[in-house]
Amino acid sequence: MTRPRLPAWFVLLLPAFIVLAAVVLIPLLLSLYSSFTSYRLTRPETLYNWIGTFNYEKAVQSAHFWSAFGRTVLLLTIALNLEMLLGLGLALLVNQVTYGQRLLRTIMMFPMMFSPLLVGFQFKFIFNDNVGLVNNALQSLGLTNVAIPWLVDGQLAFISILVAEMWSSTSVFAILILAGLFAVPRDPIEAAKVDGCTPWQSFRHITLPYIMPFIYIALAIRSLDVARAYDIVQIMTNGGPARRTELIWTLIGRTGYVDAKMGYANAMGYISIFLAIAFTIYFFRKLNAARAELGMGG
Amino acid sequence: MGHSKLRALLCASALSALGGGAVAGEFDGITLQAKLIGGQQYEALYARIAEWEAETGAQVEILSKKNHFELDKEFKSDIAAGTLGWCVGSNHSSFASQYPSLYTDLTPYLSAEFIEAYVPSNIAASKIGDALVMLPRAQFDVSVLYYLKSIYEDPERQAAYKAETGRDLAPPDTWEEYKAQAIFFTDAPNFYGTQYAGKDEAIVGRYYEMVIAEGGQLFNEDWSPAFNSDAGKRALSWFVDLYQAGAVPPGTTSYLWDDLGQGFASGTIALNLDWPGWAGFFNGEDTSKAAGDVGVIVQPQGSAGIRTGWSGHHGFSVTESCEHKEAAASLVAWLTNEESQKLESAGGSLPTRTAVWDHVLEAAKSDPFRAEAIAAFQEGSEHAFPAPQTPYWIEATNLIYPELQAAILGDKSVEEALADAAKAVDEMMQENGVY
Repeated sequence: MTRPRLPAWFVLLLPAFIVLAAVVLIPLLLSLYSSFTSYRLTRPETLYNWIGTFNYEKAVQSAHFWSAFGRTVLLLTIALNLEMLLGLGLALLVNQVTYGQRLLRTIMMFPMMFSPLLVGFQFKFIFNDNVGLVNNALQSLGLTNVAIPWLVDGQLAFISILVAEMWSSTSVFAILILAGLFAVPRDPIEAAKVDGCTPWQSFRHITLPYIMPFIYIALAIRSLDVARAYDIVQIMTNGGPARRTELIWTLIGRTGYVDAKMGYANAMGYISIFLAIAFTIYFFRKLNAARAELGMGG
Repeated sequence: MGHSKLRALLCASALSALGGGAVAGEFDGITLQAKLIGGQQYEALYARIAEWEAETGAQVEILSKKNHFELDKEFKSDIAAGTLGWCVGSNHSSFASQYPSLYTDLTPYLSAEFIEAYVPSNIAASKIGDALVMLPRAQFDVSVLYYLKSIYEDPERQAAYKAETGRDLAPPDTWEEYKAQAIFFTDAPNFYGTQYAGKDEAIVGRYYEMVIAEGGQLFNEDWSPAFNSDAGKRALSWFVDLYQAGAVPPGTTSYLWDDLGQGFASGTIALNLDWPGWAGFFNGEDTSKAAGDVGVIVQPQGSAGIRTGWSGHHGFSVTESCEHKEAAASLVAWLTNEESQKLESAGGSLPTRTAVWDHVLEAAKSDPFRAEAIAAFQEGSEHAFPAPQTPYWIEATNLIYPELQAAILGDKSVEEALADAAKAVDEMMQENGVY
């Protein structure tokens, strides 16, 4: 009698399955389970206190949660659009450079090398109302004689955070779009020139469709990044003052690690994951449409 | 009699003979793991650990040295993961109530005489219920009033203040007077009357002591919120009025202790309620533009005739799961005994043993500024009271401070902000089954 053998494909894939289960699936399931309990970090026995959908109901009914959610979507929308436009402009300019382009590309990547925590501290200092660079520059130039509360006023603080986010990540767009520009074939552009197209027309109808897939990839990557925005905001404002700059993850971070209410924090986390999924699906659909337009398959 | 009780009694008798000392070779072969607060200012005390090791034969292995906020996260992770093999941990009176089951009651391991030598209010603030969960070290904190002397000596300001208010210009003894002077001194954006901590536990602590000074309470006996009261409203109005009058830097709602310390040291703030650790920094030629111009007096009182006095202290605790509790208790007693406190308070921090206070006052006689500061802190400490002793203190502060900020910045009225904060705290307490 022969011993039953597992199919070879299964045996070969098994290590990958085990690793994935250990590092992805089990923590995910555990956090999902804990979101249905009253789990507090300081009281481990509460992990077994099943409270049904109480945490989810509480989050859904919480005005603070939804305002943080809305603010995160707003930051995501504005930051992505501005970073995309600036990154596109930067990539087009660098693409025109014939001498020293490699050096420029390296310099362009510098902000990406900084830890978000350092970026947060740097911009917290730059926008400090008392000793910050921006206020000192504005006062020295005679443009204002008051201390502008950059990190206190709701709109100004939002703009300050936006500037920090854009400074650190616009180059992601620039690098990816530049890669797209390198891949644009020369023939259609030269043919367009011969046919008398203006530079704008060539860009709009030839270059842009070619680089759109790259833009959507950058948008998908950055949308996940911004939807998880935490470090920079945590350092610059910690969601305050008076919740004026509260984002989903500053709220969740405080709930989970300071208040130790991990069950509730996980429930909020699971609701907000839908935000990331929605944006990812949207951008991938757009990416496929753009590829289809170029005849690259759907 | 249980085995552990017997061990505890034996140990208590051994320690009672010595009162925080150590017996030679008493703990031979034992290794204690410790998680301590880190920082240059604490190293002198930690050097004494080697002496204790030599005396008792035990070894101390320090697993981590971090600030209290980082330690707090580590302790919570340890509780969650059950990794509690270590024995001695740094503790703080404002954090202690969050881990009611982490630390053991030290009373059985120490003599009554040894415990009585601590300042009674510090011992009271080291307990959760009846359990003495930590021994206080010479790192006691209560805030007194630092001010710039020169602005009170300026004849022009004196005359102008007299003309405006009819009162003589002198360092304030009431918070109402403090507010009036802060508004009077302000010349924004170059000079501000005062500043305050504007976020996290810091602003709630400041609000808490102001509520007490106004004759109110933050919580009722059953831990339901009590601050949505007339006293609570008067206390919050004090912060709101100063902000709306522009008498504090506009960024004050994002300031914490370091920002405040640097602010006063920059010489651009007239009045500053602050902790003892800053005294040397404020008057140091290399560290402060206000050096030589700093006055220190006891903290002002509120309309109820009560002085503010939110206080806290560092301490050392022994874990409930520690295998060698008697050795660990001996170590924490050693680190907080009279000799240790004399050593630590020589660096400028405040002691928590009565005899060491006398020693510190005597030692400061040759330095007028130090003597003035110590006298102010000794008087200030008589009015001290700890943070509310509930495991939900930090969680409550996270619900209260955004509402205080909303009132200060004008997003909500004082009444709306306090009603919203009280509702949130009430829900949180009920959710946690407190009542």
